[in-house]
Amino acid sequence: MGILSQLNSPVIFLICGSIVLVVALMCVVFAVRAYRAGKAIGMDVTKMKRTIVASATFAVLPSVGILLGVIALSGSLGTPWPWLRLSVIGALHYETQVAEAAAEAVGISGLSASQMTAKAFSTIALLMSVCIIWGMVFSLFTCKRYTKKLGAGAASGGEKKKSALAGFGDIAMTAMFIGLVSAYLGSYLGGFVSGEGLFRFAGSWLPLAVALVGAGAMRLFLWARERFDAGWLDSFSIAGSMLIAMASAIFLGRLA
Amino acid sequence: MNEEKNRQIYEKYLEATHRLGRLSCAVTLLLLLGAPFVMGAYLGAMPDLGAFGKGFASIGLVYFVSCVAEYLIYVPMLGAGGSYLAFITGNLINMKIPCAVNARDIVGAKSGTAENEIISTLSIATSSLVTILVLALGVLLLIPLQPVLQSPALQPAFDNVVPALFGAMACKYYRHNGRIACPTLLLMAALFMLVPALTGSTSFMIIPSGAAAIGLAWLFYKRDAARA
Repeated sequence: MGILSQLNSPVIFLICGSIVLVVALMCVVFAVRAYRAGKAIGMDVTKMKRTIVASATFAVLPSVGILLGVIALSGSLGTPWPWLRLSVIGALHYETQVAEAAAEAVGISGLSASQMTAKAFSTIALLMSVCIIWGMVFSLFTCKRYTKKLGAGAASGGEKKKSALAGFGDIAMTAMFIGLVSAYLGSYLGGFVSGEGLFRFAGSWLPLAVALVGAGAMRLFLWARERFDAGWLDSFSIAGSMLIAMASAIFLGRLA
Repeated sequence: MNEEKNRQIYEKYLEATHRLGRLSCAVTLLLLLGAPFVMGAYLGAMPDLGAFGKGFASIGLVYFVSCVAEYLIYVPMLGAGGSYLAFITGNLINMKIPCAVNARDIVGAKSGTAENEIISTLSIATSSLVTILVLALGVLLLIPLQPVLQSPALQPAFDNVVPALFGAMACKYYRHNGRIACPTLLLMAALFMLVPALTGSTSFMIIPSGAAAIGLAWLFYKRDAARA
């Protein structure tokens, strides 16, 4: 039996599928508890339903992208393991990088089915698991203290400081997100301008162009939402903008 | 009276969330760390711990630092329930964080409130379930779907999921925050242009970028407060 047949065997599917199922059940439990608690403290049920609809629609497109990651990795690691990794804990960009580096560490030149062995696979799987567990480890041991400290930090220092910090909290979160987006947009700009040598303007402009199309599409959604007072558009604006931008990449990609 | 009752219910919910979250993390850790050994036993080849150590020394530390930064940054955004689930289900940067922030904005929840805690948890649980469902269906249909999804014509679209996402998000967040966004974007663009090698470490550059944006936000906040 070839290595890929072994890695795609029903037993490996069963091992990985069981873990995915356990995590899916955790999600259901967390969601039901949150919904019930929201109702119990008098939150608007419509808001919670809008959250569920918006999050579900938002998640569809990125999920298809993640599925492509499963397909990309399935050629060398079989289907069940990448399926598990990208359903639980993993991230598309991370898994590919670590799997490649792990393959080199075990002595095969990159991820390829022709060089994969059972020992190399189990070692790569372990390395992929350990490298990214820290968020969960910190959550396990410090999340309770950390979240309490965050609450206490905002509460300490009298009413004036409390209201100042509470007022700044939302601005800080928005700023953090602006920082996150700016890092990526900056990298696309930098990649285009200096990606092929300092200020040679010969790098790929495709990510930048796709981001611009995404921004333009979002602007249209926001305009339509305000112009027609269509609040329901909020649930689809991100996914819709992404879809338009991704579709544009197919055409722009031919020019790049 | 009603407010006091709600506060008690919420605190009870938070306590239980921490218990459930820690239990879920412990179970997931055990399952994920055990899986390579169980699969190794089935395949008749246990992991090579020497090669594992070598690999961990070369790339493990990098991801450790990244995980610490993500943990410190995202927990205040997501609250307790959202954080436990997000760190269990992964795909933070490309899905969970934008999804939770989007949901929070749609309903107008303020950070640090009970509403934000509930909305984040609902948002992350829902998006995780959708991903699990899409991947499960995709894996089931993998063989017939593979030629379509891997067709060269569609590859540019799927290679650009992240730029498409951040372009859309930029429009939303830059629009009313130009004085924070413009200098931060200029700073990051300049850094990436002057040191092109940084493009391989974009996720680490979120830290200085976020710090710069928060620093600017604080300066404007103080100035506006002084003028008011």
